[in-house]
Amino acid sequence: MTSTACFMIVSRNDIPIYEAEVGAAPKKEEAVHQHQFILHAALDIVQDIAWTTSAMFLKSIDRFNDLVVSVYVTAAIHTRLMLLHDSRNDDGIKSFFQEVHELYIKSLLNPLYLPGSRIKSSHFDTKVRALARKYL
Amino acid sequence: MGKEVSESCLDILLIETVSSYTNGFYAGKPELVAQAVEAIGYQVGNQLCERYTMERSQFSDHLEAIKFICTDFWIKIFKKQIDTLRTDHKGTFVLRDNRFRWISRVSNPISEDSGATFPSTLPVNFAQSRKMHLYFPCGIIRGALSNLAIPCAVTADISSLPSCIFTIQIRRD
Repeated sequence: MTSTACFMIVSRNDIPIYEAEVGAAPKKEEAVHQHQFILHAALDIVQDIAWTTSAMFLKSIDRFNDLVVSVYVTAAIHTRLMLLHDSRNDDGIKSFFQEVHELYIKSLLNPLYLPGSRIKSSHFDTKVRALARKYL
Repeated sequence: MGKEVSESCLDILLIETVSSYTNGFYAGKPELVAQAVEAIGYQVGNQLCERYTMERSQFSDHLEAIKFICTDFWIKIFKKQIDTLRTDHKGTFVLRDNRFRWISRVSNPISEDSGATFPSTLPVNFAQSRKMHLYFPCGIIRGALSNLAIPCAVTADISSLPSCIFTIQIRRD
């Protein structure tokens, strides 16, 4: 199941608060920067679509070569979970987003966490990577 | 995600929070007490709102968001809905709860038989200290709304126990 994937959580003010390369394929250095660039460029498109639809999971909103961007928006406006991937596993991606959303809420419940700051917990990181291996 | 807590524990915690801020940390400075308690409520409101809007998608406008607060949100916290909601469609919402849970235990010395043992200054202090207990729910509402990207100011009013009126003023700027 070699697939490239880059996952990012963007909060309001468009600041990424969490980034991770979760693909199983070997990573190349330039590819990492490229992935981040693609995800940031897709933010505008996300804004447009998010206001028109009332669904939470927006499938493939953008393409680049053969990589596809999928986005999940939460009700608390402007928190977006974005995933760049080349697989076509929509249901798996949806469940992945839902589980990461739960993890994100749990980290928000931490009174010492300032909402909008970077998530530095290694526990969060390990869990996200485990979920990625499971669903992607 | 969501364990249960006994209600009397929660009541005692809230009463003690207000009392320790009023008499301990900021004794004699009611404005600071109000700010501190409201700030605690703000953070709690943020977190509760995130949790309870997990399944939902975005709200289409302010009225929808306020209705959510009046129904689902209030049910999850207080096990009942808000009884009356009024709006002037210009950004002011008036929420009225006929039997507000957290102040249902507060006694009302005015209605009791005034046995003349209370000094005349006491009713004023009672009103003041009762107001303190309302800053926390005001903060919760403000935190929940600001998590839905609606900046607002919330005030509360208990002129008639046990009902409670929250006034939400949405800031447009």
